[in-house]
Amino acid sequence: MKYALRLLTLGLAFSATSGHLSTAAAQQPVEIQFWTWYLSPKFDPYIKTTIAAFEKANPNIKVKWFDKQATMVQDFIASVNMGGAPDVVNLNIDETAKAAQNGFLRAVDGLTAPATLKTTFYPQTLRNFTIGGKVYGYPWYGSLNEGVLLYNPDLLKKAGVRAPRNMTEMLNMVKAVKDKTGAYAWVPALKDPGGASFLGYFFSDGLPIYNASGQAAFNSPAHIALLQRYVDLFKGGYLPEDALRKEAFQLATELYAQNKVAMIVGGPQALNRIKDSNPSLYAKTVVTTAPLGKAGVQTGTSMGMVIPTASKHPAEAAKLAAFFTNNANQIAFAKIVPIVPTTAAAQNDPFFKKVSTDPIAKATSLVGASGRFINPGFKVPGNSDDLYKNFSDNIEAAMLGKKTAAQALNDTVSYWNTNMKK
Amino acid sequence: MTRAQRTQTPRTRSDFSWRDTLMSYAFLAPALILLTLFTFYPLAYGSYLGFTEYGGARFGQGLPPKWIGIENFRTLFADPLFLTSLGNSVKYLVVVPVLQLASLAVAVLVNKNLPGMPFFRAAYYVPVVTSISLAAVMWEWVYNKDGTLNWVLGALHLLPGGAVGWLNGESTAFWAVMLVTFWRGFGYYMVLYLAGLQGIPEELEEAAVLDGASAWQRFWQITVPMMKPTILLCSLLSTIAALRVLEEVLVLTNGGPLNSTYTALMYVYSKAFQGFNFDYGLASAAGLVVAVVALALSVANFRLFRDSDGDDK
Repeated sequence: MKYALRLLTLGLAFSATSGHLSTAAAQQPVEIQFWTWYLSPKFDPYIKTTIAAFEKANPNIKVKWFDKQATMVQDFIASVNMGGAPDVVNLNIDETAKAAQNGFLRAVDGLTAPATLKTTFYPQTLRNFTIGGKVYGYPWYGSLNEGVLLYNPDLLKKAGVRAPRNMTEMLNMVKAVKDKTGAYAWVPALKDPGGASFLGYFFSDGLPIYNASGQAAFNSPAHIALLQRYVDLFKGGYLPEDALRKEAFQLATELYAQNKVAMIVGGPQALNRIKDSNPSLYAKTVVTTAPLGKAGVQTGTSMGMVIPTASKHPAEAAKLAAFFTNNANQIAFAKIVPIVPTTAAAQNDPFFKKVSTDPIAKATSLVGASGRFINPGFKVPGNSDDLYKNFSDNIEAAMLGKKTAAQALNDTVSYWNTNMKK
Repeated sequence: MTRAQRTQTPRTRSDFSWRDTLMSYAFLAPALILLTLFTFYPLAYGSYLGFTEYGGARFGQGLPPKWIGIENFRTLFADPLFLTSLGNSVKYLVVVPVLQLASLAVAVLVNKNLPGMPFFRAAYYVPVVTSISLAAVMWEWVYNKDGTLNWVLGALHLLPGGAVGWLNGESTAFWAVMLVTFWRGFGYYMVLYLAGLQGIPEELEEAAVLDGASAWQRFWQITVPMMKPTILLCSLLSTIAALRVLEEVLVLTNGGPLNSTYTALMYVYSKAFQGFNFDYGLASAAGLVVAVVALALSVANFRLFRDSDGDDK
């Protein structure tokens, strides 16, 4: 009897202790690593506040934040290799596609209910992160390639033209602006980003990139004629030579601030730079709707949040990604910097309906609720690094007169169809 | 035997050898460990990877490298971009003799005990410690169509065809980037030569002066022979550096226009680290080819300096 009592006491003590231990284990905070891309130090307060709000709502999750810059992809690869993969990573559409194609990412529709994803984001912004039928990223802040048109009214007046309403008008006035003012009309994105953004112009004019069987098909007479138009302008000295070497947005903002470019087609973020570098020009800059191609569509890109396959805490990671990309947090971000939210609810937000004469505020209200238009215009092909490089080299050869426009596009299409991985 | 007698007994050679050997290795150990970790192992592993398929999806799924023999080398030598890049790297070696001659000449000048020389020594060294991003911004100002270089040449009426975009032309970009490499390396080699010059015993110079040798004779008969080890070292370093040119190309031209500045190391970098393809196997194979070229050129350098006076330096 004495023995049984002792055993019972021991059992009770053990169960009590183990219960305590399991509760302690459940309460043990999970630490997840969160990597952003080029956001620190400018947006530190926003990121830190949002993380603090998330941790408050999820007391068992601790977030360790790192902002990565030029070496983001290399760091990511190295960390996966070393077994210390981050849990949430901020990648753009292009990099997400490449990472997913190479098996680095978890499909997020397995972590968050597809119905929730569909009600949170615009269908197109979700499609941007859909690779092989699965969603690999939570769409985050976006931007539109066309976005808005910013222009220097003095230069347009001197050239005797008014703001173009579409790209046909824009291309038609390029010579007049340069000849009469000495400034370039605008800086088109001939090569960037990823070396293939000229494909965006095809899409904007309603010209297909792939055919029905998924093969590259951007060498029709219409494609060639459009490229030839740009080649003629480039050879005539009507587009800056540097556009083949430098990122178009960076070059455009630099030259605009020096009164060497009359117009910028792009996101409101250009205005932030102009405000810093030339406040008086900023004050007179006019903001209006962007000139679009013949298809009348915008193109654009967005950042996303992805969960690496190697993440040890995918469920917690998914919670953080969903939190950062929800409507409230994207709107809060849009109030700090003119981004385009990717959440469907953003289109009804009163913040984007405000009327203002300030260029940034006006541009923000013009594009802020346009997240549904964020679409690069083409799916990232497999083996994209090699294909983009080849595309870029051929565009350059056409611009520099080493190949005709037809030859450049035919060569590219042939290379793509031989080297594209499905 | 007393204690004093014992301590005074001479030790045999064999008593010392193991201890000396052990001691020598103990002193060498830190350097050897670091070299093994950061040089020999990466070299061996990189060479091995050159014969494997490793990267992309294989890497993403955690699969180990797969031995494929010389397949990567076949791919490399069938890739026009690699051949262009290798050709550019070899062409880039033009900078080596110019860089060496110029830095040696300036080292001789700043070695004089004249007022203001410390300033010049420091000034020539500044580009070595200037970050490449800062240097790139500065050289952009120089090379732009409305930049300093065009302004100067225009003022001298040396631009009959009008302003030139030095980094945008296929025929000019390569040399423009090379000038930046020259500018960045010049001070480094100058300091090495300066150190070499200051190691030449003054008595030699003084004796030559007493013998009536001219400055030119003293330079060729004393300075150059005494500087041979330094010249060999600088030539080797500069040859290897020319084959490894990457940063200035990346920031100034990104390999363009029309791949005219695309170097072999840029090829390695783009295959290994750009985008998400990171074909480590192919990149390692390309790196191995560059290493073999560097090795061959190093052997040639050694031979050149050994054969020039029949002495193995």
